[in-house]
Amino acid sequence: MLSAMCLGGVTKAHPHVFVDARTGFIFGSDKQLETIKISWRYDAFTTLVLFETLELDQDKDGQLNDADRVKILEGETNWPKDYKGDIYLEVLGHDYPLGRPEAAAVTLNANQIEVSFDLPLSQPVRVDSTPIFLRLYDPFFYFAYTIVSAKASPDLPEDCEAQIVLFEPTAAESVIQDKLAALGREDRPEIENVGRLFSDEVQLTCG
Amino acid sequence: MWLRFGVTVFFILAIAAAVWDIVPWFEIQRWAVGEQRTFQNVMAGALRGIQAGNPQAVWTLCSATAAYGFFHALGPGHGKVLIGGASLASGATLKRLSILTFLSSLAQAATAIFLVGGLYFILQIGSADLTDLTETWLAPASYVAIAAIGAVLIFRGARCWYQISHVKQDTHGCCGHSHGPSFNDVATLTSTRDAVALIASIAIRPCTGALFVLVIAARFDAFAVGCLAVVAMGFGTAVFNQIVATSGVAARRLIGLGARDPKGMQAISATLHLIIGFMIIAISVGMLLP
Repeated sequence: MLSAMCLGGVTKAHPHVFVDARTGFIFGSDKQLETIKISWRYDAFTTLVLFETLELDQDKDGQLNDADRVKILEGETNWPKDYKGDIYLEVLGHDYPLGRPEAAAVTLNANQIEVSFDLPLSQPVRVDSTPIFLRLYDPFFYFAYTIVSAKASPDLPEDCEAQIVLFEPTAAESVIQDKLAALGREDRPEIENVGRLFSDEVQLTCG
Repeated sequence: MWLRFGVTVFFILAIAAAVWDIVPWFEIQRWAVGEQRTFQNVMAGALRGIQAGNPQAVWTLCSATAAYGFFHALGPGHGKVLIGGASLASGATLKRLSILTFLSSLAQAATAIFLVGGLYFILQIGSADLTDLTETWLAPASYVAIAAIGAVLIFRGARCWYQISHVKQDTHGCCGHSHGPSFNDVATLTSTRDAVALIASIAIRPCTGALFVLVIAARFDAFAVGCLAVVAMGFGTAVFNQIVATSGVAARRLIGLGARDPKGMQAISATLHLIIGFMIIAISVGMLLP
C-alpha cells in the first residue's frame, strides 16, 4: 500500500483510501500500558487495488494464500524509517514514541482486506485519570481513517476506560478549520497539528 | 497608473475574500469525502459484478464512476485551478469555457486509457509502476505546464497595463475585451492555441482513480468496460468543473460591475490576468515542491 499509493504527499489533499480502524490496549501490572493493538480494514476498492498492484490471488480462488499474506504484510508492516503508521499516542501533551509492528496478521472478509498488528510502547506508561490520546491520521489525508469499536478488545484493567471520540466539528471550530484546511492545501504549515484536529481519537483513562 | 492598479487589485481581492468566507469549505469537503467513499465501494462491487459476468454491473459501474468523478473533483486539484482561473481572467464566453471543460476532462480520461492500454498491455508494465510514473513524471509535468500558463497570463496582464498607461488613443481593447481588431490580439482563451494548451496541461496527468479502474477491469478481462467507466468518470469531473467555470464567469461579471467605463473594464481584466497568473503559479509551484 505504501509503495504503491503513498507517493508524493502534499498534492494528496483528498483521500483515496478509506480505512476502518480498530484499536485495543494491552496492560501489564499496575495499570501500565505496554502495547497498542491496531487493525486496519481497507475499503473494497482499495482491496481490489491491492490485489492488482501486489498481484495477489494468482490461482484466482478468491482467497488469500500464504504467499499473498507475506506480500501484504511486507508492505503493511515493514515501515520505512520515517513512517510511523499514521499512529500517534499523546501522553501529557507529547507524542509518545512507539515501536514497530509485531504479531501481524491479515484476513480477507466480505471482499475487504484487514491487517492487524501489535505496536509496543517504547516504555510502558502508567495510565491515571489524565487521559492518554490515541489518534490515527494521515497528515496528507491520502488515507482517511475512521475509528470503529473493536469486535473483541482485550480486557482493560478495572477502573480503566477507552472511549472513542469521533471527530465532529462544531460551528465555531469549523471556522478555524476552514482556515487550517485552506492552509494545509497550499502552504503546509504545522501539518501534523492540522491532521490531529480532524481525526477521531480514543481517550484512555484509569480510575 | 499605480494608484489605479492598486485600487483595482484591492477591489478584486476584497470581493474574493468576502466570497471565500461565505462558503463552508470544510463542511463541503467532509460531505464530498463521505460520498466519495460510498461511490468507491459501489465501484468495487460493480467491478466484482463484471468479473462474475453480470451485465447490469456495467451500468452500475458507469454511474458510480461518474459520481466518483464529480465528488473527487470537489477536492483540491489541478484542473480546477486552471479552469477557475481561466474563467475569471479570460474573455471567453461561458459556452466556450463549457466546451473546454468537457474536452479537458475527456482528454484526461483518454490519457488514462492510452497509458493503461499502451504501457500495461503492450509493455507489460505493472500497475504499481504505472501509478509511480504518473506521480513522479506526469503530475509534475502537468504542474509545470499549468505554471507556464500562469506566466503567460501575467505577461499578457502586464502588457495590457503597459498599453493602458502608455497608449493615449483609446477605443482599442486588450485582454479579450476588444471591439474590432485589437493591436496585439491578446484575448486569452479565445484562440485555438490557448484552448489546446489548456486542455493539454490538464490532460497530461490522469487521475489515479481512473488508472486503477482500468487496470482492475483489465485484470477481469473487461478493459472495454473499464474505458467506458473512465469516460463516465471524466463526465462527472466535467460537470463539477462546469460549476467552477460558471462561478468564475459570474465572479468576473460581478467584478466587472465595478468598472465605470471600457477603460476601467480593461484595467480590471488586466489586473485579473496578473492576480490569477500569480495564483496559478503559486499553487502549481506549491504542488511541485516535495
